[in-house]
Amino acid sequence: MARWGMVIDLDRCTGCQACVVACQVENNVPPTGADQAELGRSISWLRLAVREGGEHGGQHHAHLMPIPCMHCDNPPCTRVCPVSATQSDAEGLVGQIYPRCIGCRYCTTACPYTVRRFNWRRPEFPEPMEKGLSPDVAIRPEGVVEKCSFCHHRLQIARDRARSEGRPLAEGDYVPACVETCPAGAMYFGDLEDHNSEVWRASRSPRAFKLLEELGTEPKVTYLSKGEWGGKV
Amino acid sequence: MADEQKRWIRSLANLGWPLLLGFAVFFILTTATFSLRRSRAEARQPIEFNHRLHVEEAGISCSDCHEFYDSEAFSGMPTAETCALCHEEVVGESPNEARLVRLLESGAPLEWRPLFRQPAHVFYSHRRHVGVAGLECEVCHGSIGASERPPRKVDSLLMQDCLDCHLEGDAATDCTACHR
Repeated sequence: MARWGMVIDLDRCTGCQACVVACQVENNVPPTGADQAELGRSISWLRLAVREGGEHGGQHHAHLMPIPCMHCDNPPCTRVCPVSATQSDAEGLVGQIYPRCIGCRYCTTACPYTVRRFNWRRPEFPEPMEKGLSPDVAIRPEGVVEKCSFCHHRLQIARDRARSEGRPLAEGDYVPACVETCPAGAMYFGDLEDHNSEVWRASRSPRAFKLLEELGTEPKVTYLSKGEWGGKV
Repeated sequence: MADEQKRWIRSLANLGWPLLLGFAVFFILTTATFSLRRSRAEARQPIEFNHRLHVEEAGISCSDCHEFYDSEAFSGMPTAETCALCHEEVVGESPNEARLVRLLESGAPLEWRPLFRQPAHVFYSHRRHVGVAGLECEVCHGSIGASERPPRKVDSLLMQDCLDCHLEGDAATDCTACHR
């Protein structure tokens, strides 16, 4: 059984946010508008966290960190959901079942990475964005929580393709939109159980650390950095 | 006189609850009928396509018209060009065919109405079910391939229908396998 995981190399990340945009487009994440953003109600499944790095040699420094859902092996969000609208599947992907979600937002509170977003309004896609919507992902209704799915639909499509071609799923068949897009090659994705995979090798790097690991969430996203990141966001 | 009046008013008041209940039952019944009617919406096709004639007598296979039935999520509906391969001119005696030929001559696209509809959060893939799992069309579509005229009503498959099959075989029952 595969265990899907991601590695993000912060030393290679340029903070261009191509991953953020790719994610929005791939998953039909609605633009909420400036007024909603001001209220802290904007939606993004993958955000770029910025930490001030102070001044060095007359230059202003900032540390950047893309934060998707960690798809924890021990997810705090699934435990608090009163209606089982969020669950880990057999391969460790933490899914969100929108028609079942009642919008209580316990999960958004429970998630220490604050990657869950609530739909305060019915999503609207201004012209011509509506023509570019992905048919592979549902548009979430008002009043439900959504989050990064590791582009789960891509796994299903890749698996169907592999099966219809009569071969097993190969490395690189299933890659989320953010990883595929990253122009700096700073993101790796694959099966963490496959010890020949690039993502497994990268996750064993001496530069590797996980975000808020001490909470026992066992996140499946690993970061690489030479700097002093140590779980501070 | 006053006593009689009081008794009359009291008898009216006693009638109040059953009346209210009657109204409530009437209201629920009418809304229920309306919503049932809505879920079985009409589907008027551009022509009354005869599946039996095409499949059994002309020997056309499903994939000739439903091109992607085992390779894509959507099975595909025949375009005007597909029909024109055989029906550029009238070849039979059916008034339906004459109608089709007129339609094709007008150059308008054929607007087939879907007969099976899923809610927006349900993701069904023909490739997965037909191409990979080898399901026969009849499992979900019934005897439509042997019918002489298309059904008039849109059919909604229920989740229980899917689950019956999924639990029987070794198919996924994860929510996210179909809902995403």
